[in-house]
Amino acid sequence: MLLRKSLALLLAVMVLTLAGCTAAPAAPAAPAGATEAEATAAPAAEGETAAQPAGEPVAGGTVVVGSPQEPDVLNPLLSLSSIADAIGSFVVEGLVQVDDQGNYIPVLAAELPTMSDDGLTLTYTIKPDVKFSNGDPLTCADVVYTWEAILSDLSQASTSGYSSIDSIDCPDDLTVVVNFAEVYAPYLRLFSYILPQAAGDPAALDTWDYNRNPIGTGPWMLSDWQSGNFIEFVPNPNFREAGKPYLEKLIVQILPSREVGLQLIGTGEIQALWDITEADFPALDALAAQGVTYAGAQTGENELLLFNFGDPAVDAPADVTANPHPILSDLRVRQAIQYAINKQEIVDALLYGNVKVGTTVLPNGTFACPQDPSEFSVEQANALLDEAGWTVGADGVREKDGQKLELKITTTSGNLLREQTQQVIAEMLKPVGISLVIENVPSDVLFAAWDANGLRKHGQFDILLYTTGPFLDPDSHLYGNYHSASIPTAENEGSGSNYSRYTNTDVDGWIDEAAAITDVEQRRELYCQVAAQINEDLPRLFLYERLLLTAYNDRIQNFKVSPGPSDFTFQSENWWLKP
Amino acid sequence: VTQYLIRRFLQGLLTLLAISVVVFGLASAYPGGIMSAYEDNPDMRAEDLARLRAKYGLDDPVPVRYFKWLGNVLSGDLGTSFVSKQPVIEEIGQRLPNTLLLMGVALIVTLLIAVPLGVISALRQYSALDTGLTALAFAGNSLPVFWFGLLLIIVFHVRLGWFPGSGMTTLGQPFSLADLAWHMVLPVTMLALVTAAGYMRYMRSSMLDVKNQDYMRTARAKGLAERAVNMRHGLRNALIPLVTLLAFEIPALFGGALYTETIFAWPGMGRLFYERAIKGDIPMTMALVLIFSALTIIAMFLADVVYTLLDPRIKLDKART
Repeated sequence: MLLRKSLALLLAVMVLTLAGCTAAPAAPAAPAGATEAEATAAPAAEGETAAQPAGEPVAGGTVVVGSPQEPDVLNPLLSLSSIADAIGSFVVEGLVQVDDQGNYIPVLAAELPTMSDDGLTLTYTIKPDVKFSNGDPLTCADVVYTWEAILSDLSQASTSGYSSIDSIDCPDDLTVVVNFAEVYAPYLRLFSYILPQAAGDPAALDTWDYNRNPIGTGPWMLSDWQSGNFIEFVPNPNFREAGKPYLEKLIVQILPSREVGLQLIGTGEIQALWDITEADFPALDALAAQGVTYAGAQTGENELLLFNFGDPAVDAPADVTANPHPILSDLRVRQAIQYAINKQEIVDALLYGNVKVGTTVLPNGTFACPQDPSEFSVEQANALLDEAGWTVGADGVREKDGQKLELKITTTSGNLLREQTQQVIAEMLKPVGISLVIENVPSDVLFAAWDANGLRKHGQFDILLYTTGPFLDPDSHLYGNYHSASIPTAENEGSGSNYSRYTNTDVDGWIDEAAAITDVEQRRELYCQVAAQINEDLPRLFLYERLLLTAYNDRIQNFKVSPGPSDFTFQSENWWLKP
Repeated sequence: VTQYLIRRFLQGLLTLLAISVVVFGLASAYPGGIMSAYEDNPDMRAEDLARLRAKYGLDDPVPVRYFKWLGNVLSGDLGTSFVSKQPVIEEIGQRLPNTLLLMGVALIVTLLIAVPLGVISALRQYSALDTGLTALAFAGNSLPVFWFGLLLIIVFHVRLGWFPGSGMTTLGQPFSLADLAWHMVLPVTMLALVTAAGYMRYMRSSMLDVKNQDYMRTARAKGLAERAVNMRHGLRNALIPLVTLLAFEIPALFGGALYTETIFAWPGMGRLFYERAIKGDIPMTMALVLIFSALTIIAMFLADVVYTLLDPRIKLDKART
């Protein structure tokens, strides 16, 4: 692990140096664009591309997307990697999906489904004349089949919501009536993928051909997959929108690392690069002359500080009032830390001002709940710490009853941006007399499971720095991260992600109440109360809002990123190459 | 000799078994593992996680899992990858030709560089040429491999644009041998130059040893031309240690080169092993460890055998007691 991290770091440095060198106009000479040029009609227009208006879509051409990860399988029932969900979305579509703004839109359904007043009957209408790539028509029976497959024994998909369904009726081929046994509030997220009955018998799921060659209604069909090398797609002749996709071919090249990808997108060997992060903004900046730009979507996640309310010396305390954290259990200390941190400065200095400061657990989408940004005030921080009884010692670090105000901050080692963030925060806390000690671990260790003695699960930390947030519908995130039932303990075998060991009965009540109703307005109000209360109690401190980023060459038109499973493949049927 | 062969075979099996126990234990104890990806997903219900653990066979204690795995291996089944759901053997079969091609060509190029240069270096001992080559060899030997690879990419791909910087073929184009060869230039250069340095030093010292042997003097006394003496009597004997070294290259031939594959996006075995080990794909990791270990053991055995064939003075039985 360490070896890989240091290698990645070195690569990053090399790439940065390299990017600096190639800003000179000599570089684009590399004629690697041959793959796409041969198919487009007028490759001669090279010089004047910038002046042309977007204009009418041009058919043809090949786009190569670089991906530093290879999908495990392309069957949504077996895969949980986000790259598999994204690449699979070239082929597989659902009744609904998430657009680039974080809202649900109909895909195979004619419109968003309607829910009955009692929240138990959901009705979808399927678009007419939709066919799978093998020619089979899409009908209600495929939806039933998908539901049964998700619940089958070998399925590795989340059954959340699907297990609440009692039955599915098919009054006709294009009408799907879903009968719930219990209210499932985030129902919009269901059926974001539909498998054809031709996929196979769920009892033999692991050996389906479908796993590496899915059959879908989407714009593309898989034509070749060379393990570790590339995956190639050609247009689906049965795609419902005539004349689309515009491109002739789509190739995903498997790359060993993001750093290599940044080189290749600079020389034009690839036209898009998946999974870059905010840490790559400087490298992207240097590649702007080569026509490299980026598409980003707000994911609803925040880079955040997570405070431990429990005593780190006690293994996974179930009750933090009996075993409180010696320093962080005091709200005034947490508030002081928030006052002492200048979030805007972190964003400006480390992220080139390209992201927003963190203010709320629910920043975007249907359930957005904006909150006022926290105030930056060293005076307020000092006043709170004075009030809490922490007095400044001889070395400038505060102390109380012989204990120093010294806290450990832990994140994934080898992540340059996070390491810089830690250093900046440590500097910001110094003037108020808080000493922050940086102690990082490899990501496998930080995020390790309960059984593997994960330090996060067992509460052996003071402050964690990482990213998390609600994924579109806040239900599972808020329950899993802020509900007292989600505190990992020996009793529940370490399930749940409430690593702060935060308990607020009001919050528990609002989360439970919102999960029991389906009315979006009412749910939004309840969640907004939760969001406000979290900012009062400060189990977590939101630093900045994360983006889901993909770099691409600006010749590709209509390139968008969705915060949903489709990611950069969102509406890839609309991509075309500007000649 | 048969007895010796049987003994070596049993020794090899025991070693393999010991390696498999250790690696299986380590792989199972490593934090993270295949389940961590699922545990982090808030949409996974406790029931889902339990079902998955059972599916991966993770409910059993580690020793039980090990013996189940061992039983399958003994019946010829290396298992199915946790990650790709493909039979492990099939996936290795897809990657192996790529690795053999890259490593094979690199080895040939290595030898083509190392043997002549080593011989020349030895024949002209202490000459300016020898000193120069020795200096080069040391430089080559101490080059950080991945740094050198990146340098090649920056100079020959990014700046000059002469060679492609990644992959085996130009994507989206029909396959052609010339295109493949074109893509091999940089990775092969990276591998060959760095390894050639070491081989050259071996060749040189081995040739120096031979140079002063009695039979060389005899050959010269017979009135053979200097060239014939060096080639027929000198080189042939000097190659013996090299052949043993080559036997040790066999595992590498199959195992691939992680750095080279990583930098040049070459879809080989090294990356397969590394990527799956991090993802907790125990069947794939174990299969590869088993194959690499077996190859190493076989290679060592071959080295011993070849040595006796080339040098009749060494006897297998004696060498072992």
